[in-house]
Amino acid sequence: MPRLGRGGRQLGSPLWKASVENEVDAEFEFHVEMRTREYIARGMDPSAARAAAVAKFGDIAGVNAECRSIGNQRERKMVTTEYLGELAHDVRFTLRQLLKAPGFTIVAVVTLALGVSATTAIFSAVESVVLRPFPYPRPNELVFAFTHWKFGDGGVSVGDYAEWQRRSNSLAQLSAFQFKGVTIAADGSPDRVTAAYATANVFPMYGVNPQLGRVFTTDEDQPGHDGVVVLSDGFWRRNFAGSAHIVGRTMTMNGRPVTIIGVMPASFDPTDSHEDLWAPIAFTPAQLVFHDEHYLTVVGRLKPGVTMGSAQREMDLVAKQLSAEFPATNKVSGIRIQDFSAAVIGDYRARLLVLLGAVMCVLLIACGNVANLLLARGAARSKELAIRTAIGAGRGRIVRQLLTESLVLAVLATIVGLALAWLCIHVLIGAAPASIPRLAATRLDGVALLFALALAVFSAIVFGLVPAVRAARGDVQGALRDGGRSSIASARDRVRAVLVIAEVSIALTLLVGAGLLIRSAIFLNHVNPGFDVRGLLSMRIALRPASDSANAATEAEQIFTRLATELRARPGVEAAAITSSAPLGGGGGSNGIVPEGKEQSIANAIDARLRMVSPGYISMMRIPILRGRDINEQDARGNVRVMVVSEALANAAWPNQDPIGKRVSCCEGSPDDPRWKTIVGVAADVRTGGPTQEIRPEFYIPIAQAPSDAWRWINRTMTVVVRATSGDAVSLTPTVRAAVKSIDPSLPVYSIATMSDRLAQSLAESRFHLELLVALGGVGLLLAAAGIYSVIAYFVTLRRHEIGVRMALGATAGDVVRLMTWQGLRPVFVGAVLGVIAAVWATRLLRGSLYGVTANDPATFAAVTVVLVIVSLAAILVPARRVASVEPTTALHG
Amino acid sequence: MPATETKDRLHGTLDALVLKTLSWGPRHGYAIARWLEDTTQNAIQVEEGSLYPALYRMERKGWIEAEWGMSELGRKAKFYTLTARGRKQLKAESAEWAEFARAVSTVLAPSS
Repeated sequence: MPRLGRGGRQLGSPLWKASVENEVDAEFEFHVEMRTREYIARGMDPSAARAAAVAKFGDIAGVNAECRSIGNQRERKMVTTEYLGELAHDVRFTLRQLLKAPGFTIVAVVTLALGVSATTAIFSAVESVVLRPFPYPRPNELVFAFTHWKFGDGGVSVGDYAEWQRRSNSLAQLSAFQFKGVTIAADGSPDRVTAAYATANVFPMYGVNPQLGRVFTTDEDQPGHDGVVVLSDGFWRRNFAGSAHIVGRTMTMNGRPVTIIGVMPASFDPTDSHEDLWAPIAFTPAQLVFHDEHYLTVVGRLKPGVTMGSAQREMDLVAKQLSAEFPATNKVSGIRIQDFSAAVIGDYRARLLVLLGAVMCVLLIACGNVANLLLARGAARSKELAIRTAIGAGRGRIVRQLLTESLVLAVLATIVGLALAWLCIHVLIGAAPASIPRLAATRLDGVALLFALALAVFSAIVFGLVPAVRAARGDVQGALRDGGRSSIASARDRVRAVLVIAEVSIALTLLVGAGLLIRSAIFLNHVNPGFDVRGLLSMRIALRPASDSANAATEAEQIFTRLATELRARPGVEAAAITSSAPLGGGGGSNGIVPEGKEQSIANAIDARLRMVSPGYISMMRIPILRGRDINEQDARGNVRVMVVSEALANAAWPNQDPIGKRVSCCEGSPDDPRWKTIVGVAADVRTGGPTQEIRPEFYIPIAQAPSDAWRWINRTMTVVVRATSGDAVSLTPTVRAAVKSIDPSLPVYSIATMSDRLAQSLAESRFHLELLVALGGVGLLLAAAGIYSVIAYFVTLRRHEIGVRMALGATAGDVVRLMTWQGLRPVFVGAVLGVIAAVWATRLLRGSLYGVTANDPATFAAVTVVLVIVSLAAILVPARRVASVEPTTALHG
Repeated sequence: MPATETKDRLHGTLDALVLKTLSWGPRHGYAIARWLEDTTQNAIQVEEGSLYPALYRMERKGWIEAEWGMSELGRKAKFYTLTARGRKQLKAESAEWAEFARAVSTVLAPSS
C-alpha cells in the first residue's frame, strides 16, 4: 500500500511553508505562556511575568529563524523521500502487474520496441550524415566555389581560381583540388587509385594535421619540386599495413618516383571524394593565366564574420570584372558560392528527414496501439482504481502511478529497442549504397541514446496520458457498482475512435509516400537507357603519361585501336569498342559546340558531352541511329572531320532542320581556324547518368580525329566496352584481362562491371529509399490494422451484454455484424479523409525523389485508400464475426 | 578543529539529556525544559535558544517525532516522542558520556 498523503502538506506547496513557520510561532508562544504562568504562580505580577518569560527565552527572533530553517530543511527532505518511496513503490507495483499479464507486456513492449528501434536507427543515420559537424575547426566557414553556367554549376579553371584568390576579400583562403586516376606501382602489379592534386594551403585551411610526418609546403607546390605525396589513412593501411616507418619512403606514381612525406587521419576527406592520396598541384605560370578547361574543385574558408550572402555578392562583382577582362572564356559564366555541408550532404538531408518523419509516424502508430492496450487494461482495472480513490489516493497520485506504469513500459521497450536499433543500423549500413556521404560512420552513440530515452519519455506521455487521465476521472461510485461497464465504456469508445482515426490517417500518409515511390520505381525500371545493356561489360584502362609528347596522341590511339582489334578476335566477344566515356561510368567532360553561321563566341556555345569513340561504337552499343550513319573506319586522321550528334544536341543546335551536312566548331582551333566538323549522323539520346538523370546534349567524334589536347583532358584513360555472344557479360572478364595483358602487361584495368550492374547501381539510392519507405509503410499498415482489430475485439467483449439483449429481441447475427462493421469503419473513413489531406501536404517533401509521377497522383491516393479500407475491413470482420457465436443467454448471464 | 568538537560535545550532551527526558514519555518543549531544571535542581539551566534548535535538529535526524496535541491545561501544544532511532542514539550517547565521565574522574579523582 502506498502511504496515503497528508492532505495539502505532501504537495510541498507554499501552504506548508507557512505551516512550518506557524508551528514554530505557536510552539514558542505556548512556551512563553507556560513560563509566564509559572512566574505568576511564583507570585509575580502578570505583565512583569510575561516580560521575564520573554527575557528568559532570549533572542526569540533568532531562535525562531533557526528553527524555521531546520524545519523547512526537514520538510523538503521528507517530500523527496516520500516521492522517491512512492516512485519505487509504483515501479515495483508496475513490474508485478506486468509480470502478471505477460501477454499484454510482451505485445506492448515489442510494439513499442519496434517503433523506438526504427526511429533511433534512422535518427542515428540522420545524426551521422546531416547533424554531426564536419571534423574541421569552424566548419561553418568552409564554402565551395563553382563556375556558374546557365545550365548548372561546374568546375573552375586554373586562371579563374588564381584571379578569385587574388581579388576576393571575404575569403581567408581558397584552395583547389584536381582529382585524377593515377597508376601506383607496388610489387610490380599496377594499381589504379584516385589522387587529389591539391594546393599546399588545403591542409592549413581545413585545419587538420597529419597523423604521421608532414604535409607539403608552398615551396613543394611548384613545378619541379612536387615529387612528394601525402597518403590517406585507408591507402596507408591497405598498401603499407599502417607501417609507422613509411615517411621518407618512395613509391612510383604514374611511372615517376615520389616521396611519401605524411599520412592524414582517417577523418580527413576534404570534399567527400574518398581520394587515396594528395600530391602538390604545382600550377605552371602558363596554367595560372589560362581561363579555359574547368576541372578544379575549389573550396574556400570565409573570413570570420563574413556571411555567405556578402561573399556571394563580392564574387558576383569578381565574375563581372573577369567577364570584362577575359570575354573569350568568361563572358557568360558567373561564380557560385555554396555552403560546404549543403554541397557535400546535398539532398540526402531532405531524404533522411523524410525517412525520420516516416519512422516517427510508425512510432506514433505503435504508441496508439499501446494506448489502446492500456485503455483496455484500464477498463479492467477501473474497479481497483476506484477502490484506491475511495480510500483516499488523490487523483494526482493515481495519474502519477499510471504514468509510472507507462514509463516503465517505455523504458523496457527502449532497452529492447536499443538492441534492435543496433541491429537495424548494421543492416542499414550494409544495405545502403556506398554513395551516401558519411552514412558508414553511423553509430549508436550518446546522442542517439539520449534521443531514444527522450523517445521513451515522449511515447510514455503520448500513450499513457489519455488512459491515465481517463482512469483517474472515472466515476468512482459507478465503477464500484458495476465494474466499469456502462457509462465509462461509451466515453472510452470515443477515445478509441480518435485513436483509430489517428492511426489510420498516419498509416495512409505513410502508404501514399511508399506508393508514390513504388510508382517512381516502376517508371524508372521502364526508362529506356538509350542503349542495350544485355551482355555488355565495360572497364577503364589508363595509359602511362606519354614519354614523347609529339607522338603522344598517335601512340595512345594506336594502343587502343590494337586493343579493340585484339578483343574482337577473342572467342565469345560479339563486338568491342573504345570510348572516352561510356554511359553509367566515369570519365569524359563537356565542350562548347558552336554551329556554323553563328559568331564563334562562348555566348553561342551549346555545352555538350564529348565522346571520342572507335568506329562502330554507336551500332555496337545498339544506340539507334536516327539519321545518317555511325562513325566508321574511313573517318581517319586527315580525312574530313566528322561528328555524330545526339538527338538533344541536334534539336538544340538546329531546331526543325536536318543536321546532316551542317558544320560546327568545337574542342580545338580558333575563330580564324575553326576546324569545322561535319555532322554525319544523329544518334538517339542516351541516359548517361542513369534513368534518374536528365538527358543532356552529347556528341561523338572518332578517336582518330581527336584534338591532341583531348588526350590530356581524359587523362589518357579510355573505357572499353565488349558485348558477349552468350549474353553473359561477366564471363568475358578474364578474356578482356588477357587481351589487355597481351598488348601491355603494365596497363591497369579497373572499374570492371557489367552494364546491367551499373544500371542497377545508378538506381540503388532510389531503390534503397523506396525499400525503406515501403517497409515503414507496411509496418505502419500492420500496426494500424492490429490497432483496429483490438478496438473491435475489445468492443465486442465489452458489448456482449448489449449484443445479447439485441439478439434476444430478435436481431440476427448478420444484423449485429453489420452494426459492428459500420461502427468500426466509421473512424476508418474519417481517418482516411484526414490521411488524404495530410498526405497531400506531406508528399510535397518527396518531390525530389519522384520520377514519372506527380506528388498528388490520384491513382496512388485511390489505390492506397482502397488497400487501407480493405485491410481495416478484415481487421474489423475477424473479431466482429465472433459476435455471431454469442448465445443470447450467455451474454445476458455474462 | 577543537572549537567545533567542543560545541559538538555540548550539543551531544544536550541531545542526550533531551532524549533521556523523552524516554519517560512524550513531552512538549516547555515540559522538557522544566523537567531538566527540576531534576537537576536548576544545576542545569537549559536555554530555550539551545533547546528548540536541538529539538528541530533531532526531529530532522529522525530521533524524535513531533505531533500536536492537548496540553494538561487544555492548550494545543507540540509534543515530542522518542523514535526507535532516538532510543538507539540515547543508548550510544549514554555509553559515551559514561566513558567520558569515567575518564575525567580518573584524572580528577584524588589519588589514594
